[in-house]
Amino acid sequence: MNALSSIFGYLHGDDGWNILSGLANTIILWLVGSVLGAALGFFIAVARRYGPKPVDWLLKAHVEVIRGTPFLVQAYLLYFGGPYLCLALGDGSVCLTLEPFHAGLLGLTVYGSAYYSELFRAGFEAIPRGHIEAATTVGFTRWQTLRRIILPEMTMLVLPSMVNMTILLLKETAVLSIISVKELKFQVDIIGNRDYAFVESFTILALVYWALVEICGAVGRAAEARLSRYRFAHS
Amino acid sequence: MSWELFWLLVEASGLTILYSAVSIVVGFFVSAAVCAGVLSSNRPISAAARLFVSFFRGTPLLIQLLLIYYLLPQIGLNVPSAVAAVLGLSLCTAAYQAEILRGGFQSVPRGLIEAADMCGLSAFATFRRIRLPIAVRLTLPALTSEAIMILKSSSLISVVGVVELTTMAKDLASSTYQPLPIFAAAGFVYLVINLVVAGFGQLAERAARRGHA
Amino acid sequence: MSIVSAIRVSGVVKRFGSTAVLTGIDLDVPRGAVTCLLGPSGSGKSTLLRCIAFLEEATDGIIEIDGEPLGFGLDPDGVRMRLPDASLRKVRSKIGMVFQQFNLWPHMTALGNVAEALVTVRGLGRVEASEKAMAQLEKVGLAQRATHYPSELSGGQQQRVAIARALALEPKIMLFDEPTSSLDPELTGEVLNVMRSLAETGMTMLVVTHEIGFAASVASKIVFLDHGKLLVEGAPAEVFGKPRHPRIDQFLDTYLDRGAAGLL
Repeated sequence: MNALSSIFGYLHGDDGWNILSGLANTIILWLVGSVLGAALGFFIAVARRYGPKPVDWLLKAHVEVIRGTPFLVQAYLLYFGGPYLCLALGDGSVCLTLEPFHAGLLGLTVYGSAYYSELFRAGFEAIPRGHIEAATTVGFTRWQTLRRIILPEMTMLVLPSMVNMTILLLKETAVLSIISVKELKFQVDIIGNRDYAFVESFTILALVYWALVEICGAVGRAAEARLSRYRFAHS
Repeated sequence: MSWELFWLLVEASGLTILYSAVSIVVGFFVSAAVCAGVLSSNRPISAAARLFVSFFRGTPLLIQLLLIYYLLPQIGLNVPSAVAAVLGLSLCTAAYQAEILRGGFQSVPRGLIEAADMCGLSAFATFRRIRLPIAVRLTLPALTSEAIMILKSSSLISVVGVVELTTMAKDLASSTYQPLPIFAAAGFVYLVINLVVAGFGQLAERAARRGHA
Repeated sequence: MSIVSAIRVSGVVKRFGSTAVLTGIDLDVPRGAVTCLLGPSGSGKSTLLRCIAFLEEATDGIIEIDGEPLGFGLDPDGVRMRLPDASLRKVRSKIGMVFQQFNLWPHMTALGNVAEALVTVRGLGRVEASEKAMAQLEKVGLAQRATHYPSELSGGQQQRVAIARALALEPKIMLFDEPTSSLDPELTGEVLNVMRSLAETGMTMLVVTHEIGFAASVASKIVFLDHGKLLVEGAPAEVFGKPRHPRIDQFLDTYLDRGAAGLL
């Protein structure tokens, strides 16, 4: 009981505000990162499908590298990358420095785009060929087929995995605290370190992320239920 | 960056592989129990198993690792940080593997079980000879991805001071002031390990597709 | 004393929730002959067959195999009651089943599929089971495909392996649930031929099928189901000969195009 009351002790006053600002940053990083990541991922998937072969190979290499390395290592590269380039260039006049927040957002977007692009690729593959052939035989153009047939069908097919991916991105935002992005975990860590209250602070964090994940999952399921009305006979 | 530094990273990657492999194997056995719990008709057991899955899939692994790392000494268990880290990784992957297993069992076609039924196979024989091999075969791709996920996630145990690839990269980066090449090299080592694992996964799938599950 | 029927179905009702699929079926399947179960889709013929295989539990009614009640029996007061599992297993072992979707186990070879139950159910040694399984595969003409996996066999070959798998357990009665419905027309012949030669050995067979030609030429009894009821039963000549029941006329109209016209 003592531990629990001390947990709630942190939820008001200055500590409360710091936690809230961290939460706001986490949610901004998460939502903006997801939207940009999904958009970039969609672009990658389309470019790989319809673009020339070398583009496909290049983007495949990009996707494999991002998916084959830990997000933490990517975050370190972005974080240390800027200052190191300044040093390497000698006089420091040409300098690529990223605020931790922007480095974090960039990292999330690029990381997410690799995974989202694979989801979209699988979605393209899963659309029955016959549906596209039917569109062709009734005289749809390529663009009409993409917009009227492929996109809506793909949305239904990939929605569950998109929700999972978006939840994964939320959890990855916590890693950004290691490169001093002032998100939720960063702010709660400050309090935990100050008061030597690690178990309490990590319990708060676990509960908040858990709640966000459950909310996201519930929204995803509601969206799926709405869309399932359009899921006509898949034979 | 010198070969000596790169070699230190490769050596540290052995620990990454060790911790990941132990976590995946321990996680598999925990996941079998959790999956059985989720599918159990006993309500309290099923609810507890679902809660376990929901928590470990619903919170960042980084937080789980830190929570376990600080919680164990408070409840009187003073274990080395590597043990706490492997415990965290194992519990997390157990939650994911339990869901993978459940999906596998649920997608074994009904007709194959009916055929076993008509041949008079007992429930246990049907499980051991038909359902289990087919479920494992169906889940091989997902289990391979999960193994790769854990290999990458194991980089997070660097935050509790366990020596492995990312910890080594961090130490070398700060002692040599060359973070960019060192982290790039560390990323390269992770990439190679994961490509090898993915390759083995594909071999296993190909073997399974012909039947030898 | 009358000869006991191979299968006797009395008053069988099957409901899924509030929809009644079978509304009181009485049926006798004679021994040593082929009985074909016909009817439009949704008439309940597959459900009836699955009840006889106890893959579905009938909501009401009694099914007897070889004179022994299957799954449910009557207590001394005439009340329907569930029978112990041991009795169910014993009665059921008299039945072999062939499915529309073959349902071969994908991780075992053709030989493995046929030998599996001989080892795990009959307790035979691997060698003996393999020999027996091989003999069955030979009967369906697939001995040279024994080491192939289901994915490496054509649909017709898969179904013949499935027949061998059922026969290996030496059932007294063979049930066929639309055995050729998921096959290409040029592959149905090989399966029907195997079934014909099985019929010639005097095997009791109950076949749900849309192959009117097969039914007319091989069956000694035709049972026509419609809307969960038994509409007509009798020898092919009685059921298909004129005057015909209007529903059968309608049904035949749909299938005569398939080349069965010459047979009637």
